[in-house]
Amino acid sequence: MATYDGLFDTLGLREWCDGGASDGPMSMADLLAKTKGGDAAASSSTPLRDLPFPSLDALHDACGAIPQTRDLTQGLEAGFLAIRDALRIVVDPLTQPLSWMLREMLWVMTATPWWIMVPILLLITWAVARSWKIVGFVALVIGLLAFVDHYDVAMQTLAIIFVCAFICVLFGVPIGIAMSRSDRMQNIVTPILDMLQTLPPFVYLIPLIFLFSVTEPKLYGIAVILYAIVPVVRLTNLGIRLVDKDVIEAADAFGMTNRQKLFGVQIPLALPNIMAGVNQTIMMSLAMVVIASMVSAPGLGILVLRGIRNLELGVGLVAGFGIVVLAIALDRVTKASLARIDASQANR
Amino acid sequence: MSDTIKVSIRNLYKIFGDDPQGALAKVREGMTKADLLEQENHVLGLNDINVDMKEGQITVIMGLSGSGKSTLIRHLNRLIEPTAGEVLVNGEDILAYSEAQLRQLRRVNMSMVFQKFALLPHRTVLENAGMALATQGISREDYESEARKWLDRVGLAGQDDQYPHQLSGGMQQRVGIARALASNSDIMLMDEAFSALDPLIRTDMQDLLLELQAELHKTIVFITHDLDEALKLADHLVILKDGAVVQQGEPQKILLAPADPYIEDFVADINRARVLRVRSVMEPGEGGPSAGDVAPNDNLESLIARSEGAVDRSFRVVKDGAVIGHITMADVMRALVPRRSSDESAQDKAA
Ligand SMILES: Nc1ncnc2c1ncn2[C@@H]1O[C@H](COP(=O)(O)OP(=O)(O)O)[C@@H](O)[C@H]1O
Ligand SMILES: [Mg+2]
Repeated sequence: MATYDGLFDTLGLREWCDGGASDGPMSMADLLAKTKGGDAAASSSTPLRDLPFPSLDALHDACGAIPQTRDLTQGLEAGFLAIRDALRIVVDPLTQPLSWMLREMLWVMTATPWWIMVPILLLITWAVARSWKIVGFVALVIGLLAFVDHYDVAMQTLAIIFVCAFICVLFGVPIGIAMSRSDRMQNIVTPILDMLQTLPPFVYLIPLIFLFSVTEPKLYGIAVILYAIVPVVRLTNLGIRLVDKDVIEAADAFGMTNRQKLFGVQIPLALPNIMAGVNQTIMMSLAMVVIASMVSAPGLGILVLRGIRNLELGVGLVAGFGIVVLAIALDRVTKASLARIDASQANR
Repeated sequence: MSDTIKVSIRNLYKIFGDDPQGALAKVREGMTKADLLEQENHVLGLNDINVDMKEGQITVIMGLSGSGKSTLIRHLNRLIEPTAGEVLVNGEDILAYSEAQLRQLRRVNMSMVFQKFALLPHRTVLENAGMALATQGISREDYESEARKWLDRVGLAGQDDQYPHQLSGGMQQRVGIARALASNSDIMLMDEAFSALDPLIRTDMQDLLLELQAELHKTIVFITHDLDEALKLADHLVILKDGAVVQQGEPQKILLAPADPYIEDFVADINRARVLRVRSVMEPGEGGPSAGDVAPNDNLESLIARSEGAVDRSFRVVKDGAVIGHITMADVMRALVPRRSSDESAQDKAA
């Protein structure tokens, strides 16, 4: 009846096929085929043009013992659910501090009155960028967002970015250093970074949703960190590897220990590259925080999502504009600090 | 200047490649550098090097680019590990050193000056000069005066707070020298230290080095590809070619008796009158009637000037009031003509 019947007959597998065949739940395709009636079945030889690809479903039609694709997806799901509890016992406590940090940061940044919070942010800007122009620009951006009543959501977005970027740097720089010191480590980590970077962010939200409950902040925290940690790791590794070989040789010739070399020579000279990585990491955190609002991350992304869902064009556009100005502000501040580092060691 | 041997290199081989030991056997059987590269895909870096470096002397290692000079000097502080052979410093085999001993050697006994200066770009001139001391764990207050002293000594007073990129090449290398001197090590390794500098500045730096050396009597290993520089600085000259020593000895001797055509080519363009000294050309005994006294270290150029063009004069060579030999203008003239191995026999007949 099905196209590949003949194949299994000639292979002498008919018995094995029928033995496994059962009246399992019918797929939609089966149903459709049934309703079309016996005409299709009558013309037993399918024209070559209509030859289906020998996929699981097509083979299943001919041989009941072969599973359908639906069984595969269900199997995966069942497998994942089976190891979920074990995985949670390990991952849950490890990531609990992240939930805690995100909650506290969100609370601090939204509960602090704006007339305290804004000066603090401007002070941080000054400390990092050392430029009144940039401080003025940041003040303008915050003022603009607050003026259109987006202050709270903007603070939420910033809080998540601060926490996630901080953790990215905390882990990313040491990983980058480890990579720079051993080619083997580099060969192991690089494919992982490649994967994290090429996977569309939606894809790693899926297992995370199963692993954690949607009410946990760490759900989106992990998603943001996984996505944003890549550049800081890569550029730390690259920065240290690019340090002038002659200078490293001089450090060796004067008997520096590995530690003295790392902290006295390699990291300081790699700092411009590391800071470029931090800049990228912050920008990618912002991008991901918007996507992560689909899994309950608060902030400007929620409003964008509302704009899409409810077709509230204005809400979406204003929130989108807010994200853009926030992105520009974050970029300017980190670039200014980068320029400052470069200027203080204009060695190239 | 003593005759104590400070650094001694024995039967040193270095082969770059995946299987240096296998290639080493081939080299010991007599395979050449070119063949080794072609047939085995290994680079012969150093081939059976034997050099003794005396305490308080400047040993100059000279050779064309790629002849293995940098590779050789990096064996002295084990920045490169040899394939076979021994390196003795103060009589100890440094290849047997543990990591801690090696670090101590690099911190205390040896310092290095680099062709491209290799200063720390994020540190001030003063911090760079004190780098060796800071590496030993000495705090900034304690090393400051020492570093400043050596900066003054190399002519960089008042530049303490500059960064290297704010200085000219010559000044940067002065910092490099101050850095090496401040470590107070008795051995200084200088890998083409002046090659990146303009000719005039280079001459200045050579004079500075000789001036410092007259005072400090360090054991200096100096690398160069420039024969004029080598002749100016060397107490002992080692000439490398394709990773092997072709000739070594006192520079004057090499100049008067080059061992092979490679060195003859090297010395062909030298102003011999200025480089050669009376002591290398003179003959023993008082000789005939003397037109005056000369010192053994006068160069031939000054002698020619004193002879005012007359070719039949003879001078007495006097050192510390005693006559140690004589030199005729005929000797001088003969010495001025580079010797060629091809016309050796002709010269022998004339003599
Ligand atoms: N790490 C290395 N790997 C392979 N070959 C090398 C390496 N270092 C040096 N060489 C080779 O060894 C030879 C000597 O190099 P080097 O000591 O740098 O010469 P020099 O300093 O006299 O110009 C050259 O042929 C060079 O190509
Ligand atoms: Mg070299």
